[in-house]
Amino acid sequence: MKVPDAIERVLLDEETIAARVRELAAQISADYADAEDLVLIGVLKGAFVFLADLARRLTVPHHVDFIALSSYNRGAVSMGAVRLIMDTRASVTGRHVLVVEDIVDTGYTLDYLLRTFRARQPASLRTCVLLNKPERRRIEVPIDYLGFEIPDVWVVGYGLDYADRFRTLPYIAVLKREVYEQRSGGTENQRSGENGVAR
Amino acid sequence: MGLRDDVAKVLISEETLRARVAELGQAINATYTDADCPFLVCVLKGAFMFLADLTRNLEMRHEVDFMEISSYGTGTVSSGVVRILLDLEQNIEGRHVLIVEDIIDTGRTLDYITRNLQTRNPASLRVCTLLSKPSRREIDVPLDFVGFEVPDEFVVGYGLDFAEEYRNLPFIGVLKEEVYADSE
Repeated sequence: MKVPDAIERVLLDEETIAARVRELAAQISADYADAEDLVLIGVLKGAFVFLADLARRLTVPHHVDFIALSSYNRGAVSMGAVRLIMDTRASVTGRHVLVVEDIVDTGYTLDYLLRTFRARQPASLRTCVLLNKPERRRIEVPIDYLGFEIPDVWVVGYGLDYADRFRTLPYIAVLKREVYEQRSGGTENQRSGENGVAR
Repeated sequence: MGLRDDVAKVLISEETLRARVAELGQAINATYTDADCPFLVCVLKGAFMFLADLTRNLEMRHEVDFMEISSYGTGTVSSGVVRILLDLEQNIEGRHVLIVEDIIDTGRTLDYITRNLQTRNPASLRVCTLLSKPSRREIDVPLDFVGFEVPDEFVVGYGLDFAEEYRNLPFIGVLKEEVYADSE
């Protein structure tokens, strides 16, 4: 499969991601070996690829649920003002909740999710994040299981998009700067908002 | 592992799934161009795993969106009418829509979703399903891309669940009868 012209370079190839997802799945399976009722909550749209691969590698029984969010002021720096578009299907009260996210940069979205779920009194609440951009952090959020730390570059693929493009590339790649500087498009703006805020 | 003990047999192995999903990807690659920029509609939850693998085989420009639906209850089964819990983020008017489903059995839900999306005037509307159970069909729905035809057995795995369990099995298996018999 040829690499699109808009891509500057491949940051994490398929094999590297697959190996790390297997490690995360092994760790999670060990940690939740005795957990009665584990639910993985994927944040749409970005986390669906990661969740699909992670869930298949888990050896512990679990349920899968999804949540969809949107930001109130698209494009502006969000202070965590997140709108819940679709809530989970099932209640999380009394259950072991693992939030699955594709990327954390400012931390506002994950912070919102943690506050939301904590209020519902789960048995436990942890986070599993594929990519972390620590340079971009604005608010402290706990990451219990992390795939990779990455620099502050615009990444696409494996669920991450630019204006809904490049989301399903099987690898994670750095977008050419001129592509995202041409227009401030993108429903998931990695500079001014956060991946995963808008669906 | 416990979940696997509930599976009577593996119907479609992980390797067979991977190969067939790649073939479906090639068929879709041959159908659409970059200019078409097909709009893939994934019906949650069951189809997310199939979607994740299918789309990684696509070479043309495309977009992905999600719908989540739930049934209103027993009274509406024959009409296929479902409640839309999460609608598409984007307008599909003039777009080439490809519905991605995990399994088609009676066809009633798909028929309703198809009619619902048709009212939004897409440029074209096709359906890609991983599994089809033709023996269960009650309404004729055109399927453009089909992964496997399966017999009328209780299948789980690769996104398909029984009471929310077994979804994450990496293969398609047939559930042991004693597992689901109790609940019926």
